[in-house]
Amino acid sequence: MASWDLSVSVEELGSEAPPLKVSVTSDLHIGGVILKVVEKSQIKRDWSDHALWWEQKQQWLLKPSWTLDKCGIHADARLFLTPQHKPLRLLMPNAISVRLRVCFSSPVFRTVMGICKLLNIRHPEELSLLWPVEGKKKKKDKDVETEVYDITCSPLPSSTILKLANGMPAFYAESPETEAVYKMLAVSQPPPAPETIAKMYQTTNVMEKAQINSRWLDSSRSLLQQGVKENDKLQLRFKYYSFHDITPQTDVVRLTQLYEQARWAILLEEIECTEEEMMVFAALQYHIGKVSLTEQFVASSPAMDDLDSALQCLEVKMEGESSADDMLETMTAPELHDYLKIFRPKRLTLKGYKQYWFTFKDTTISYYKSKEESSKEPIQQMNLKGCEVAPDVSVAGQKFCIRLLIPGPEGMNEVYLRCEHEQQYSRWMAACRLASKGKTLADSSFSSEVQSIQSFLAMQKTTPSNNTAQTDESINTHSLVSPRYQKKYKPKQLTPRILEAYQNVAQISLTDAIQKFLQIWQALPDFGLSYIVVRFKGCRKDEVLGIANNRLIRIDLSVGDVVKTWRYNTMRQWNVNWDIKQVAIEFDGNVNIAFSCVTADCKIVHEYIGGYIFMSTRGREQSDTLNEELFHKLTGGHEAL
Amino acid sequence: MDDIDAMFSDMLQEMDLLTQSLGAEAESAPLPKPPSIPAPQEMNFSIGFTDLNASLHEMEDNDLDALMADLVADISATEEKFATDRDTSKGSAPFAPIPIQPQSNFGLPVSTDTSKPATSSNSIAAPPPPPASKPSKEEQEEQIKADKIKLALEKLKEAKVKKLVVKVEIMDGSSKTLMVDERQTVREVMDQLFEKTHCDCNVDWCVCETNPDLQTERGFEDHENLVEPLSTWTRDTENKVVFLEKKDKYEVFRNPQLFYMWKKDKKSLMDMKEKDKEQLLEENFCGASIIVPDLEGILYMKEDGKKSWKQRYFLLRASGLYYSPKGKTKASRDLVCLVQFDNVNVYYCKEYRNKYKAPTDHCFILKHPQIQKESQYIKYLCCDDELTMTLWVTGIRIAKYGKQLYENYKAAVRKAAGTGSWANRTIQASSSASTPSPTPKAKAANGHAPQLPKDTKGPGNQTSFPPPPPSMETLPPPPPDPMLPPPPPAPPASTTKVNKFSPPTRFPQSSFPPPPMDDLPPPPPPPEDAELPPDFLPPPPPSFPPYGGDSLPPPPPDPITSLPPPPPPGPQNFASAGGAPPPPPPPPPPPPAPAPAAKPSASSVRKMPPAPPKRTTPLQTAPPGGELMSELMTAMLKKRSQQ
Repeated sequence: MASWDLSVSVEELGSEAPPLKVSVTSDLHIGGVILKVVEKSQIKRDWSDHALWWEQKQQWLLKPSWTLDKCGIHADARLFLTPQHKPLRLLMPNAISVRLRVCFSSPVFRTVMGICKLLNIRHPEELSLLWPVEGKKKKKDKDVETEVYDITCSPLPSSTILKLANGMPAFYAESPETEAVYKMLAVSQPPPAPETIAKMYQTTNVMEKAQINSRWLDSSRSLLQQGVKENDKLQLRFKYYSFHDITPQTDVVRLTQLYEQARWAILLEEIECTEEEMMVFAALQYHIGKVSLTEQFVASSPAMDDLDSALQCLEVKMEGESSADDMLETMTAPELHDYLKIFRPKRLTLKGYKQYWFTFKDTTISYYKSKEESSKEPIQQMNLKGCEVAPDVSVAGQKFCIRLLIPGPEGMNEVYLRCEHEQQYSRWMAACRLASKGKTLADSSFSSEVQSIQSFLAMQKTTPSNNTAQTDESINTHSLVSPRYQKKYKPKQLTPRILEAYQNVAQISLTDAIQKFLQIWQALPDFGLSYIVVRFKGCRKDEVLGIANNRLIRIDLSVGDVVKTWRYNTMRQWNVNWDIKQVAIEFDGNVNIAFSCVTADCKIVHEYIGGYIFMSTRGREQSDTLNEELFHKLTGGHEAL
Repeated sequence: MDDIDAMFSDMLQEMDLLTQSLGAEAESAPLPKPPSIPAPQEMNFSIGFTDLNASLHEMEDNDLDALMADLVADISATEEKFATDRDTSKGSAPFAPIPIQPQSNFGLPVSTDTSKPATSSNSIAAPPPPPASKPSKEEQEEQIKADKIKLALEKLKEAKVKKLVVKVEIMDGSSKTLMVDERQTVREVMDQLFEKTHCDCNVDWCVCETNPDLQTERGFEDHENLVEPLSTWTRDTENKVVFLEKKDKYEVFRNPQLFYMWKKDKKSLMDMKEKDKEQLLEENFCGASIIVPDLEGILYMKEDGKKSWKQRYFLLRASGLYYSPKGKTKASRDLVCLVQFDNVNVYYCKEYRNKYKAPTDHCFILKHPQIQKESQYIKYLCCDDELTMTLWVTGIRIAKYGKQLYENYKAAVRKAAGTGSWANRTIQASSSASTPSPTPKAKAANGHAPQLPKDTKGPGNQTSFPPPPPSMETLPPPPPDPMLPPPPPAPPASTTKVNKFSPPTRFPQSSFPPPPMDDLPPPPPPPEDAELPPDFLPPPPPSFPPYGGDSLPPPPPDPITSLPPPPPPGPQNFASAGGAPPPPPPPPPPPPAPAPAAKPSASSVRKMPPAPPKRTTPLQTAPPGGELMSELMTAMLKKRSQQ
């Protein structure tokens, strides 16, 4: 068979170097070509990760046993010998970049699996890659990422199962730098400065939200095929809002990143919420930020689990033993006594605050004319169980009031208690809050409640000017809400509102707080909707298709209302006509819809629908094996079949 | 430490004296005590009566008997436990021998109704068994001390448990009276009521509170405690507790599509497949967070303190009830929060057209449970029709209780299925005894009908069993549907460039669990026998078994003890029969009272009016621990002076 020259560029020789000419025959297989090229290059190194890339056809030659003939390669082909794994800058859901080595030759779906394995995120099928927003901000900010976490030195993710050391995958424990990377991944970030939030790209309407979804990469093709180059920047995001089997012990990174994505979605108003909900989100962010500074991320090695359970056992034992003492203590319950001022707003009264001797016992406040008369009948008793407690505080004005709404048969009784100073206030406030939940002063959470009130008061003291360095104690409340509320309220006004929401969450653990945040996020009416601008067959104007994990919705752009809902469980089949870029779906009862996609490729819509159906096939049993084949079958385009 | 020790032995003695004297009193007096025996500090008051006396007057004889049985069983259970307790710790304890007779209560001819077990004392933790190995002397002493402390505390704890005598009205006009412990949930109370009323135990039964002042009605949720809301009622209240069937209680779980797809055509919703319903429930109640129905629409709202009702566009969210103010869009950011659900409950209202000039009679209010009268803190809302009202009230309940509601439903279904199949058994047994009748028919008649009646009105006694809960179901594979369209063609040649994608099951090689979408008809209901095989036939209802009723072992008698001998076998067995697990319904008719002494004569009930309460802003019901001690002291002083 006649031999001919094949030109192959080798990346290691530099881009300027002329391509190597190797003499081949048509029945030579790809592996043989690589061998020849390597010999000719005279470079000694590990070539195992290298593969041939056929530039004109935009495809990888990954089957070493195929002959050149079978691949259709002739003398005019220009091939590149290049590593399959290249560094990539990955923007994590927490808005921090990591530089890591990812696979450029396998389909994006598998590349994401590799990335997630490296980052210790389970269920990689829920995530995908997309191009970051190239926006106006690019001109001004020259170097946004001052610090880039680099884990390109890590072993390739294809290597065996990750071992755990100190609760993190073993290689993170190797050096302080990698440990810092893991900490960044597993611990939520401190609240961003309000300016940072304002600077980020914000979507203001459904159309703009739909634009985001045009940037997803195709899961069934490789990165290089989609024009991604070495050291390019891509975003990693949770794409399918169907989070399977989250277990806090093993999903530290996953939970944290999910929380970060949700937090940014709230802050940037990618998902809308009401003012009340925003305050709860703010309170939870504050709490999570505060707790994650003290609470180390949960180590999840089995040994630690054992230790944990052992500790818990011990705790239970101790509790059991000390319960008698505890109960004794409740019998001689702690009390609060002080001179405080009281004010009951009633119609047609102009009376101000009056001073009395107050005692707080169990869940009841009693007050007397003076300390001396405290042995007599109190003037009044108020049981705070089930009441509403709200702060009415101004640190600057030295006003420390507690507003109580005490339920009674006739309605709610409004009472204001005025304390003299911060110390007194935080103790009485803590007592009131516990009492409203039916707990007494003897409850173990009393002292931490006092502390959390004090630390929150400290927020009011700090001036919001120094927002460059956000330390733990002085968080600007503006960094907890979206720009809309930054504009609407001053920090002074915002703090009491967040404080009000904070009192319900102040005692929960880090994991619980994160999960609660996610729960409220998932309960928002617009949660989990990915928008695409489409044009329905027979319609003249653009409309928006919302894709969720169980349904498709059609939104009228002019009104913003949901016009129609179709659920997947009534769907019989969907077809994509790649030529005219039209998606046609058939539902039960002879309902047929067809639309062309305006803002995104119809492959993206197709992948969303197929992806969600794939997500719903995941069983309840916790098996980590992923049916990649089925995913591609459901989401792949014509190439896949 | 010694004086603590001494103090406790003292206290124990005194308390024992007290209980003993109470017991003795009950024994000597021909009258039953009012139901305040276990808690000398007057924890009990009755609900549904103007005062305690009236409540006792109104009681039926056997009710009173049952109550007495309850009370005495309580006391004796506690006493018994202490007796055994003391035995175990007796050893070398410097424990002053106490001249008490804990068994005295067994002598009481209490048990005219054996079907009433003591429920309240069951939850007390049993004392730890004595250590097996012989401990050192110090350890022993430590142990004894700890035991004593525990004992005393338990007594105090038991004494602190609040109990209410509750009169429950039943729809047929009759009423039942029962004692409810503050630890009991509504579910447990309903189980008691099922026993008492012999009704079918279907899931629609509901304990409601009615307030004639506000003309409201609210069904308690099964997980709530009954005592807590009742104890916030005012003393002169006309409120009532009613036991009835309410179709809307769990309708959302039988027909979730009516609530979650309310925008769609009602007709098409009614014949939704069971499978799709299940999937709706799964989606909305089994995820990480529950999804609240996306209700929105115009409701009338009564202006604060005014008579007028204004229309507003309301939206329900998990975080609360919102409306969009005039001239604003219904975008989330513009919504105004009317109320959040943490501190309020939702109540149905009656005849508000007359009372408040409401546009329709389909009103509901949101208020703090303690508010009993008209107040500016109540939010009044009015809907166009009954269906809308049910939607909103149910939606608010879902937002407030979340997953708990679904758990309640599943528990109720289990309960209903359990008793249902038992009832089937009895029917079968009786019918086969007389004539070999076709049993399957009887089964069918008793429920498990696959289709529910669509009628949502009228709390008739017609049973309609809900579909079995998804968790219990082991469905046979659905039969192939002949109407199924042919599977999509194999991937077409790439020249057509039109690809068909269908759900994964359509792929013949797919080995996956069936995807959610399926247009198969609902599978046939599982055969009833397979569902709940009663592997245990309860014994026939005990009718005073001479020695056979001891399913509860008698307390282990300790031969070394210096205490009086264990109770005589006769009454004791009797008492333990009373404490046995409740026999299945129907309970036996109460045997004739063995002694007239047990028969309460209403006229001679000792009057024990509740202590006049201190008028405090919130009604204080539970005296704190300190007061308890002082009350104990006074009671003891009184006792001594009597001696």
